[in-house]
Amino acid sequence: MIKVKNLRYKYQKSKDYAINGIDFQINEGEIFGFLGPSGAGKSTTQKVLIKLLRGFEGEIEYQGKPLNSYDDQFYQDIGVSFEMPISFSKLTALENLEFFKRLYKKTVDLEPLLKRVGLWDDRHKKAGEYSKGMKIRLNFIRALLNDPMFLFLDEPTNGVDPANSRIMKDMILEFKQKGGTVFLTSHIMGDIDELCDRVAFIAEGKLREEGAPRDLKIKYGRRTVTVEYRENGELHSQTFTMEEIKLPSFFKLLQEKEIETLHSGETTLEEIFIKVTGVKLRA
Amino acid sequence: MPNLRVLIQGEFIRLNKYNLFAANFVVLLFWVFLAWFLEGEVLRQFIPVIFLMDSVMMTILLVGATLFYEKKEHTINSVMVTPVTENEYLLSKILVNALNSLITVAFISLAVYLIKGVTYNYWLLVPAVLIVTVVHTLIGIRLSYSAKDFTSLLINYMIYVFVFVLPPVFAQFGLIDASVARFFILLPPEASSILIGTGFVEVELWKILFGYSYLALLSMVLFRFSVKPKFNEYMMKEMGV
Ligand SMILES: Nc1ncnc2c1ncn2[C@@H]1O[C@H](COP(=O)(O)OP(=O)(O)O)[C@@H](O)[C@H]1O
Ligand SMILES: [Mg+2]
Repeated sequence: MIKVKNLRYKYQKSKDYAINGIDFQINEGEIFGFLGPSGAGKSTTQKVLIKLLRGFEGEIEYQGKPLNSYDDQFYQDIGVSFEMPISFSKLTALENLEFFKRLYKKTVDLEPLLKRVGLWDDRHKKAGEYSKGMKIRLNFIRALLNDPMFLFLDEPTNGVDPANSRIMKDMILEFKQKGGTVFLTSHIMGDIDELCDRVAFIAEGKLREEGAPRDLKIKYGRRTVTVEYRENGELHSQTFTMEEIKLPSFFKLLQEKEIETLHSGETTLEEIFIKVTGVKLRA
Repeated sequence: MPNLRVLIQGEFIRLNKYNLFAANFVVLLFWVFLAWFLEGEVLRQFIPVIFLMDSVMMTILLVGATLFYEKKEHTINSVMVTPVTENEYLLSKILVNALNSLITVAFISLAVYLIKGVTYNYWLLVPAVLIVTVVHTLIGIRLSYSAKDFTSLLINYMIYVFVFVLPPVFAQFGLIDASVARFFILLPPEASSILIGTGFVEVELWKILFGYSYLALLSMVLFRFSVKPKFNEYMMKEMGV
């Protein structure tokens, strides 16, 4: 659906490229994520993909045609939420949404969406009086109100409490189940792990690794199982490879000892990220 | 352009909610208050000044204030990821200000008629106010582009006034030679003043024709070569989203 080739982008006033030659592809119906620390170039990439930042180098194709060949009707089918919550502070939440809603041909009913993210009761409150988490949820609904085919979500759950974050993630997954395509960025490993069909690691304007979260974990994880058990009051641990767990000695240990924990050597995306890029996700 | 209507309505709602209408209205009441104390010829000279101030100064300040809020709250970025085009967006600003100026003409004219019984040629005044507002909406947008906040917009505006408004004033007091002053019609506020004056006094035909053509051309040039090319750059400048 989106094909990006050797994309480079430099902000006018800076001498370094914020994005420095990246290639990737987002397929229809998938959730594709950019995982990377602050300043890696995630938001810049999103802003280039949604035609806000002009004058990029390289190629971007959207549904087989160059991005630059689309006019503003491009936005009919696209939903965007920015990293920073945006709203007219002196308008109520509902007035904000109603204003944007009228700019689209195709729209959805706001009530169920607002109820779902817990903003319905506060819909007549001024957006400026919303908490940060509420503003972010409002922006998320803003991105959905034109019933888009493609969602661009920049750090969608950053600053949202766990319960609402859960609801938003469920909504993103449902959006995908109904055939939608998603580009999302995050520096939070958990979100990417849970939501993305494929993830690309971004650090310092470059992509370092790409794949399904599960495949990456298999590729970079140790294929081992570690058993922790107690013997004479002391804690012991023993590690087996995937081949060794087929042997009787492994079963004997499980049967005879008082097992406390069993860990697979599977690693986390965060650990893989550090290993691949040499950069930490959080400063 | 169905979006244009939505944008204009949205802008009016916001002018109201952000208390900019209220501020504008206070200024209008102030003009009426001043007019109350004037009589006869002085009053007839004062009324065109009201319309000039409104369509030059209030236009620049209003457009500056709305752009400043849009920038501060980053809402301009949200608007730009909807099917709204740059032209629709800019046109909505122009039309909203034009409508505002018409409201001013109606309000002030009604007020001075009711309290003083003064009338003038509305048919000549309205088109003049409209073209002056259009030019100054564009000038206001351009001045906002190079202002980092509302205060620096005010400073830009002051500079504009000093450069363009003071020379004709000096000429009136005889401080600038008449041979030079002839060319002051090339200063946008002076051309504006002459056109607005047509509703009140006899103005030479060539000045009217030249004034309209000049301000129309200036609007087009500003739009095409100054406001539009810089729009995206301005929007992205301190985006931070
Ligand atoms: N408007 C801007 N002007 C200049 N440099 C910018 C601007 N926005 C971001 N940058 C720089 O570009 C790089 C990438 O930033 P960004 O895309 O926001 O990263 P991320 O979203 O991954 O945190 C950073 O070095 C940042 O300082
Ligand atoms: Mg970012």
